[in-house]
Amino acid sequence: MLRTITGLAVIIGILLLVLSVTAKNRPNTFEHSLDVQKESYSVEHEDFDRIIDVLTHQRCLNCHPSDNVPKQGDNAHPHYFGMKRGNNDKGFEATSCTTCHQSENNAYSGVPGAPHWSLAPASMGWEGLSRIEIAKKLLDKTSNGDRTHEELITHLTEDELVLWAWDPGVDANGKERTLPPVSKERFKEAVIRWFGNGAIIPSE
Amino acid sequence: MTGKKKVSRRKFLIRGGIGTIGVLAVGTYLFRNPIRRKIVKVINTVETPYQGNTDNPIIWFEITKDNKVVLHSPKVEMGQGTFTSLAQMAADELEIDINQINVVHAESSSGNMDSFATGGSTSVSALWVPLRELAATMREMIRIEAASKMQEDVVTLKLSNGIVSSANKSMTYAEVATGVSEWDIPDTPELKPLSEYKYIGKPIARVDLVDKVFGAPIFGMDATMPDMLYGAVVRSSKIGAKFIGADVSKAEKMPGVVKIVVEEDFVGVVAHSMIQAENAKSQIEVQWEGQKELNTDDIKEMITVGKGTPYVIQKVGNAEEILEDGENLIVSEYWSPIGAHAQMEPCGAVAHVEKDKATIMISTQVVAITRNEIAERLNLERDKVNIIPTFLGGGFGRRLHTPNAIQAAVLSKAVERPVKCFFTRKEEFQNDTFRPPTHHILKAKLSREGKIEAMEHNVSSGDVAFGSPMMPRIAEPILGADLGAWRGGLIQYGAIPNFSAISWRVKLPFATSWWRSLGLLANTFAIESFMDELAIKAGIDPVEFRLTQIQDDEKGRRLKEVIKAVADKAGYKDRIIDGRAMGFAVSTDVNTPCAEIAEVSVLNNVIKVHNVTCAMDPGLAVNPDQVKAQCEGAIIMGLSASVFEKMEVENGELTPTIYGPYKMALMKHAPKEIDVVLLQGTDYPGAVGEPPLGPIGAAIANAVFRLTGKRLREMPLQANLDKQS
Amino acid sequence: MEISLKVNGELYPIEVDPETPLLWVIRDVLDLKGTKFGCGKAACGACTLLVDGNSVRSCSFAVKFAEGKEVTTIEGLGTKENPHPVQQAWIEEVVPQCGYCQPGFMMATVALLKNIPNPTDDDIDRNIINVCRCATYYRMRKAIHRASELSQQETDKRVENNKV
Repeated sequence: MLRTITGLAVIIGILLLVLSVTAKNRPNTFEHSLDVQKESYSVEHEDFDRIIDVLTHQRCLNCHPSDNVPKQGDNAHPHYFGMKRGNNDKGFEATSCTTCHQSENNAYSGVPGAPHWSLAPASMGWEGLSRIEIAKKLLDKTSNGDRTHEELITHLTEDELVLWAWDPGVDANGKERTLPPVSKERFKEAVIRWFGNGAIIPSE
Repeated sequence: MTGKKKVSRRKFLIRGGIGTIGVLAVGTYLFRNPIRRKIVKVINTVETPYQGNTDNPIIWFEITKDNKVVLHSPKVEMGQGTFTSLAQMAADELEIDINQINVVHAESSSGNMDSFATGGSTSVSALWVPLRELAATMREMIRIEAASKMQEDVVTLKLSNGIVSSANKSMTYAEVATGVSEWDIPDTPELKPLSEYKYIGKPIARVDLVDKVFGAPIFGMDATMPDMLYGAVVRSSKIGAKFIGADVSKAEKMPGVVKIVVEEDFVGVVAHSMIQAENAKSQIEVQWEGQKELNTDDIKEMITVGKGTPYVIQKVGNAEEILEDGENLIVSEYWSPIGAHAQMEPCGAVAHVEKDKATIMISTQVVAITRNEIAERLNLERDKVNIIPTFLGGGFGRRLHTPNAIQAAVLSKAVERPVKCFFTRKEEFQNDTFRPPTHHILKAKLSREGKIEAMEHNVSSGDVAFGSPMMPRIAEPILGADLGAWRGGLIQYGAIPNFSAISWRVKLPFATSWWRSLGLLANTFAIESFMDELAIKAGIDPVEFRLTQIQDDEKGRRLKEVIKAVADKAGYKDRIIDGRAMGFAVSTDVNTPCAEIAEVSVLNNVIKVHNVTCAMDPGLAVNPDQVKAQCEGAIIMGLSASVFEKMEVENGELTPTIYGPYKMALMKHAPKEIDVVLLQGTDYPGAVGEPPLGPIGAAIANAVFRLTGKRLREMPLQANLDKQS
Repeated sequence: MEISLKVNGELYPIEVDPETPLLWVIRDVLDLKGTKFGCGKAACGACTLLVDGNSVRSCSFAVKFAEGKEVTTIEGLGTKENPHPVQQAWIEEVVPQCGYCQPGFMMATVALLKNIPNPTDDDIDRNIINVCRCATYYRMRKAIHRASELSQQETDKRVENNKV
């Protein structure tokens, strides 16, 4: 779909008007089916919401801390035993992420695992940020690791650590970890379309 | 006078029959009844007698061909260093080099078994006289035999480093012992004077040091038997759950399963590996009944002074009457939480039950009780059950009842092969025999000069000693109050004219029992925090304040000495210096006074203990280095328990169930300096392993008050400070 | 599945479910009991060993990940005649009490000294996060510093010898 700059401005203006309503009454995107009949701005809004709903879920947010302390569980408690970001986002010199976390989940211990298990870089700390602020960080090359939109799409839809969120395994008590509120397929779909539509952050 | 005794060839046995040793009088209200006195002395005094079998020959020592002596210890080694102290005591009287002695756990079949337990900080003190007398007797037997073999006069022989020598001949002890089937047993010889001991009183390296540094397979969980299988037993996570039955159809089909065993009181799996057993276990559907949907608040409600039955455990003068009048009355309340043992090696056992006998390898603090329980369950004669104790991966009271050996034995019997069966960590946390929570109310009145006129300590606690198989059944009705719960709960300041202590007994719906130092940790926290409050009210330096409340007898003298020593060593000052404050506290546990000063800071609301100074008078320190090690460990364990640890009850489950969520002190929380001063107020050894746990909680809380103005009256202290901020 | 496992320099071909935690293969198949089970949840560190020189909590490490790598356990660290500097330091400071957690701490210390040969107290606090219930931390800290000294001396000696 082709767009003009003017069209965008209009859409953003409308979005700003409806923002207060949607903030109070955010759609449950999990159940929300994509309605192609709807106006294009609301599709974009949904894509954005769908993406951010995932990024703000504890499966994602726990490893995007703003205080260098990884979080654990749905209550986002600080990682036990004082583990912190350390060097290269991979823990401390001798006791690092890989001391306990391997490239797969461990069903015996309940320790989660995925390839290159680590914290997101400090510049990508999302904890405590608004949805808009998270999106800005995501798009900002100075914080996102100099990634282009293309690279971001690849990261969000193909990176095994990102996709771990939909295969988070069991916890120490053998209980399944909760999943993000949007399915992996719908998330990927939303990411591709949102970037395809210019990666527009609603409030701007 | 000597007599001929038939004994075996290579090993030689020494008959027991060593008398028990004296008992210190504990002159308080409770002990007027002579039966009470008898029971209490077992648990609560230094001189817990060695309660071994004195009728049949029992193995104490073996001499091996390479001229070493094996000491079969009736006390188990759980880290407290007892093996090393016993080696020192035996080597000194045996006239052998410390490297010539090898201490092992006595198997129950050796007959050398303590029907009491290893616990209560009594191992060294209980064996202090008997073990040295046995060693001295054996030394003289060797001398007599050597004289006969060497055709020399007994008095001319010199014994040293395991060698008997005369002017021109010498023989090793092993050579002397070779071929002997009958020994002359002399009367018990005089013990050497303390000044002649080479090892006693010296910082000898632990005898188990090398094994432990090189990872030798010495623990219960390392035990194996040929052809061994692995067991797993289902345990409920709910308080009060009673097993009524199980659907095992799914579990039976799991890989590696040999047998599912359904008993009246439990269901278990036997499989070819531990993993297979646990995997199959998870497929068993168990029916339970009697679960209690309790929460932490329900438990706290039960543990409240004024509920249950009160027992006066200490009464001097008339505190009650004086404190009835509310004028100038000072009152404070304190609380302590449920504590877990959290020892690193889970409970478990390897059992092999054959047609008419059973062999059990296990880490246990109660060898005899475990043997008796297994014999009863399997309907075997007691002497057909052999308990082989291993080193313990931590005891702390957790293994003062090890009925889990029964489960391993039952599984073994069912498959007719040896079975190894252990707790998971979650099961450890939920089926622990917890340190009970407590509630304390302290009341006092001060004179104008700042002397305490009257003081009263009320403590409510879950059971500690009661319900334990170690306690005689008659103990409960006679004693009334649980002596484990009030350990450390007596008021140690004898110069106060009127004081009393009252214990309120509460039976909780889950198991509470012995936890290193029993009630000492909580009781000292309450009493010594309150003493600090009183000192501040009186406007007197807290160290000075305590010294003036102590009586002038022997006990009082030793108490004052540790207080002065710790204040001196730490350079105690009751003011904040460079953002740090010193907190002081002192306790007396099983006749060992111990005073501690913690240097603490509170930054961003985080309690940090930088240094601890400790002065303790355990009497004679058989191994001063290991006594210090016990102080260091007890101080950090006590810090851990009082600053961080807490079990909760949520919807009928004890939680958390893993390290981390069960917050404990780690390396970073340990004080950078722990300075231990040992005083020697008696010429015999007293309690060591538990007394230094007493003062640390109050010492830290007292320092925090100076730094923040906040009085922490509930453990764990960090959570309490968080709540107050 | 057959896995070829190299432990303390020796190759062991073993037939085992590849998901089995390395800990149980080490303990129950190879019968090396120095590596301990404490919690099974990678929380306590009693099962710490080295895989290619890095510390790993073996209760939470599928055996398949060890294939083609060098596994070192406490048994492979040093001998009584020729102890590893960490073991020597542990002996000199008389660290262990019950001793159960000590192999895990020693292995974690080996990894620490490999990465930070001369660790500060803060380095130790960050990296050594195993659990010891006897709370031997005070002596452990001393022993870690001592092990660092001993390792340096050993390195210095090797350098000297190479010069000669």
